[in-house]
Amino acid sequence: MSKADSTLPAERRLSLLVTVLAFALPVVFVLVPLAIFLGYSFFSVDQGTIVYSLSLGNYVRFFTDPVFLPVFWNTIVLCVSVAIICILLAYPAAYFLTTLKGRWRYALLMLLLVPLLMSYVIKIYAIRSILGLNGFLNKALVTLGILQEPSTLFVFNMNAILLTLTLLLIPFAILPIFLSLERIPQVLLRASDDLGASGLQTFLRITLPLSLPGVASAASFVFVLAIGDFLTPQMVGGISGFTFGRILYSQFGTAYNWPFGAALSVALAVVVIAAILIGERFGRNRGISV
Amino acid sequence: MGLKKAFLKLATIGLGIGLMTSAALAANLRVLAWDGYADADWVKDFTAATGIGVDVVFIGSDDEIWAKIKGSEGQDFDVFAVNTAQLQRYIKADLVSPIDVTKLANQKEVLPRFRDLTAVSGVTKDGKVYGIPFCFDSIGLIYDTDKVKPAPTSMSVLWDPAYKGKVLAYDNGEHNFSFTALTLGYKDPFNLNEEQMAAVKAKLVELKRNVLSFYTTADEAQQIYQNNDVALIWANYGQQQVKALQKIGAHVAYVNPSEGALAWLDNWVISKGVRDNAAAEKWIDFMLSKKVGGELSERTGFGNTVTETGSAGGNDKLVWLNNVEDPLKRSDMWNEVKATP
Repeated sequence: MSKADSTLPAERRLSLLVTVLAFALPVVFVLVPLAIFLGYSFFSVDQGTIVYSLSLGNYVRFFTDPVFLPVFWNTIVLCVSVAIICILLAYPAAYFLTTLKGRWRYALLMLLLVPLLMSYVIKIYAIRSILGLNGFLNKALVTLGILQEPSTLFVFNMNAILLTLTLLLIPFAILPIFLSLERIPQVLLRASDDLGASGLQTFLRITLPLSLPGVASAASFVFVLAIGDFLTPQMVGGISGFTFGRILYSQFGTAYNWPFGAALSVALAVVVIAAILIGERFGRNRGISV
Repeated sequence: MGLKKAFLKLATIGLGIGLMTSAALAANLRVLAWDGYADADWVKDFTAATGIGVDVVFIGSDDEIWAKIKGSEGQDFDVFAVNTAQLQRYIKADLVSPIDVTKLANQKEVLPRFRDLTAVSGVTKDGKVYGIPFCFDSIGLIYDTDKVKPAPTSMSVLWDPAYKGKVLAYDNGEHNFSFTALTLGYKDPFNLNEEQMAAVKAKLVELKRNVLSFYTTADEAQQIYQNNDVALIWANYGQQQVKALQKIGAHVAYVNPSEGALAWLDNWVISKGVRDNAAAEKWIDFMLSKKVGGELSERTGFGNTVTETGSAGGNDKLVWLNNVEDPLKRSDMWNEVKATP
């Protein structure tokens, strides 16, 4: 009796501690920093020092200055395009993977994910030299007779950012689509076949709808990663590929305008959160529960 | 009891040694410098020649120097190295002592452009000398000798439509506004009025249309050069950059533009808290010797103030970097330039 009395509170204390920790970690490492960021966005800078009095000046500037909104909008369009291209390329790849049997399936999946083990910067460097005027892509196209002479279309412009981000982010699209395709019960496909549906009909009416949650989360993954990236545009964007990430980055380096940078980040965060919510909504609605 | 006595004795000896070493350190000259400015062999030679011991602390950024000097109000170091753009800040905060140039025999032998220190902007104030120039490099123009003919003499070549899409520029608003102001013929590129700012901005938008890309590191510029058709590079990293390119077999040459090249200049200064002024003067004088100057350039690739180097010919016009009127404004306007379609 007395033994049980003494162990119970100890157990309870431990579980309380675990609960507190479980809540404290995200609060301390995610919510508090975000709140500080939000707070900073209402400050301003004068002569290189931060003025700690609240104002909406940064947001007013974001919406009224002719520089920011067009770049913001172009960046969103760019990242949506990246997401769409990634999906279009990743879907067939993921579908092909699910048709493979046993060990091959996972071996190939692993191979597709290998690029994620490499340093991001090194990959950008490599892609940039492939896209360059004397790069592999131009040499190949000229050798194949598709181009008369090397073209500058592939590097230091928006096309380059689109191409590079797509290449870098494809693994993030393949994985969720593959998982959702794999979770489709084989019995449904067989039933469809038994009932006389063609392969195309089965795909359009069963496989595709059931894999849409994977597509939605893949799209939101890719979009969020693309829109937060400043390094790729900086390195391959050249003079015409100016994106929101680059403006944001410049506020923290040479400009030393943290408050305005924070306000721009808040604008970015709103779009990112919206993208995640949309992705999650679609992901849940059509989810399968078998 | 015996044990306690032994402990006390040990403690006394320990204290004694501690005092002795701190006394020995107290006699040493305390130097704060960038890596490459106080190499071990020079320090050894200096001690051998003068009998003065030296403790060197290396720093990695301008902010770090400021933090160390300001943090101790100059009491922790005797001599340190700082660039012209930064020096005025130290003078204003009363952290540095004026230097008696007559005590520096080697200063009479320096290159002509450094002989009259009143002509070197930023190292004097109210007729007193606070900094002795030691190491510099210019921000000139690298051009491909096969593609750019005749050899350029002005930065205006960057705007030449013949090189459209073959120009590499540097991604930094402050410097770009300064050099463009020089190209437009403005006297003080670091203090531009509204009208001049607008003219420079318009000129930079034009530049942007002629440019292939903006780079940030020397390495990056080199990689772009290798994979693309590049004819001209605005060389933020000066001699180091041109030498690295020549090493990979690129046919490039370097030129300081006739309208004047921006250039950074590091100086030796004596802190307010200097303990032995004569020792500090000896250090600076030693650093101005032909041997140290030559070895400095050989090892780092930067120009020195006593022997001729590739950083600048004798007649090249150099404009020492200074603080700009409003860094934030320049950065904002640079973003506007980049965002202009």
